[in-house]
Amino acid sequence: MSQTIADRSAADSWAEFDRTTSRWGRITMLATIVVMLAGPVILAFQVGFEPLATLGSFLAIASVFGILWFVEPLSYFPILGPASMYQAFMIGNISNKLLPSAIVAQSTIDAKPGTRRGQLTAVLAICGAATTHLLGLLVLVGIFGTLLLRVIPDEVTSTVQVYVLPAVMGGAIVQMVFSNLQLRVLIIAVAVGAVVVFVLTPLFPVIGYFAIVLAVVSTVLLALFLPGGNKHQHAEELEAEDLS
Amino acid sequence: MFTPHTAVDPSSTDILAIANQPYLWVTAVGVFVVIGLQSIIYFRAARKAGPEAGLTRQESIKAYRAGMVASIGPSLAVCLIAITLISVFGTPAVLVRIGLIGSAAYEVGAAGIAANTQDAQLGGDDYTQQIFATSLLAMSLAGAMWMVVTLIATPLLKRGTERLSAGKGATAMAIVPGAALLGAFGTFGLQQIAAGMGPALVTAASALVMAICLFIAKSFNQHWLREWGLGISLLCGLVTGLLLTQAGIA
Repeated sequence: MSQTIADRSAADSWAEFDRTTSRWGRITMLATIVVMLAGPVILAFQVGFEPLATLGSFLAIASVFGILWFVEPLSYFPILGPASMYQAFMIGNISNKLLPSAIVAQSTIDAKPGTRRGQLTAVLAICGAATTHLLGLLVLVGIFGTLLLRVIPDEVTSTVQVYVLPAVMGGAIVQMVFSNLQLRVLIIAVAVGAVVVFVLTPLFPVIGYFAIVLAVVSTVLLALFLPGGNKHQHAEELEAEDLS
Repeated sequence: MFTPHTAVDPSSTDILAIANQPYLWVTAVGVFVVIGLQSIIYFRAARKAGPEAGLTRQESIKAYRAGMVASIGPSLAVCLIAITLISVFGTPAVLVRIGLIGSAAYEVGAAGIAANTQDAQLGGDDYTQQIFATSLLAMSLAGAMWMVVTLIATPLLKRGTERLSAGKGATAMAIVPGAALLGAFGTFGLQQIAAGMGPALVTAASALVMAICLFIAKSFNQHWLREWGLGISLLCGLVTGLLLTQAGIA
């Protein structure tokens, strides 16, 4: 996109944003890894560190979840962009909290994903979501958690556990489609999703792990290369907005 | 919060005696502080870059506030799930592992796997302090791998996209984020429908309520509904789920 942006200062200010978020994103993520591991490491040595049992457990977990270490960052990168990658993988709950928040924010101020305006909106929305979530966790779980554990009916808890994902997805999808209607891409996305979920996953259950990355990559490639896209016009609209 | 040192007994099954020690609280709060600092740095950087990208100061605040409001529902749901796991992992570990970095599905799965590897059952009679400590370390190390891959892959992917967007690819690349988002959420949505009658009906209820919210927001100029719609549709979806469970339908 940089080619069409004649304004020097716009390019400079974006480069500065990029530098700040890349540097501090990395520093804070490294710090999180260190601080997060410190507690369990001290605990292990206090109780009696068992290297073999730790390694064995780590490998057993890796055999089930290891593929997600690679698949999730790869699938979310095209949506989040480099800056928000460092936010998202620290704060967690990307698909059911952070992305829906970004969708709502973009819908609120009419910013399109794929523009710099849209990307900044997503970064700010994730900052807002982090604020809510840190406060909520500290107060409800950290301070009142043990107390609340006794008062909340089991039925409510189990319902939330089972249905939270569909209850977020239905609303988030409708808002995403309404705030930025791209009929052609939507049709591609639904067709790809239907093939992945209803054809490929039942045939090859292992695809379950790759479902999202497969859907993301296929939708992007088809949207780019399928004829009839009028994609240049769309991209120009995006850029026009970018500069507005 | 304070637990005397004598509570440490590797063969005891009193997990909470060691899971609430002060240094675990300190490191848990440390993770909160680091994430808080990151948010402040990012907020300032985004607000500063905003005007040149067509995002006014006022819109920056609006975007931040929309993110705060929209995440209330999803955040409460995560808090509720975290609370139910306090008795298994202790509050500090729940705050870090389930509340933030990880997710309930991964952590509970990983804890079960780690316990089984050591010939024990998660929360069972043989789930000793020793096994808890080893499991928590293995879970945390495995959980850190997401961040390790993110740290390595992000600069590489960034260089790749910059090369693709240079020159003629630029116009085409602008549709990638929107297409990726639709691709991911289209499949998320269909996965809920494929998961069975209950999740399918809950998805539909939530989608319907959101459609109504957005219609009212537009027709009657109730802008706040765009922000609160997600919370309202999440709540209506969960109530539908509760009714379905009570009716024995799903």
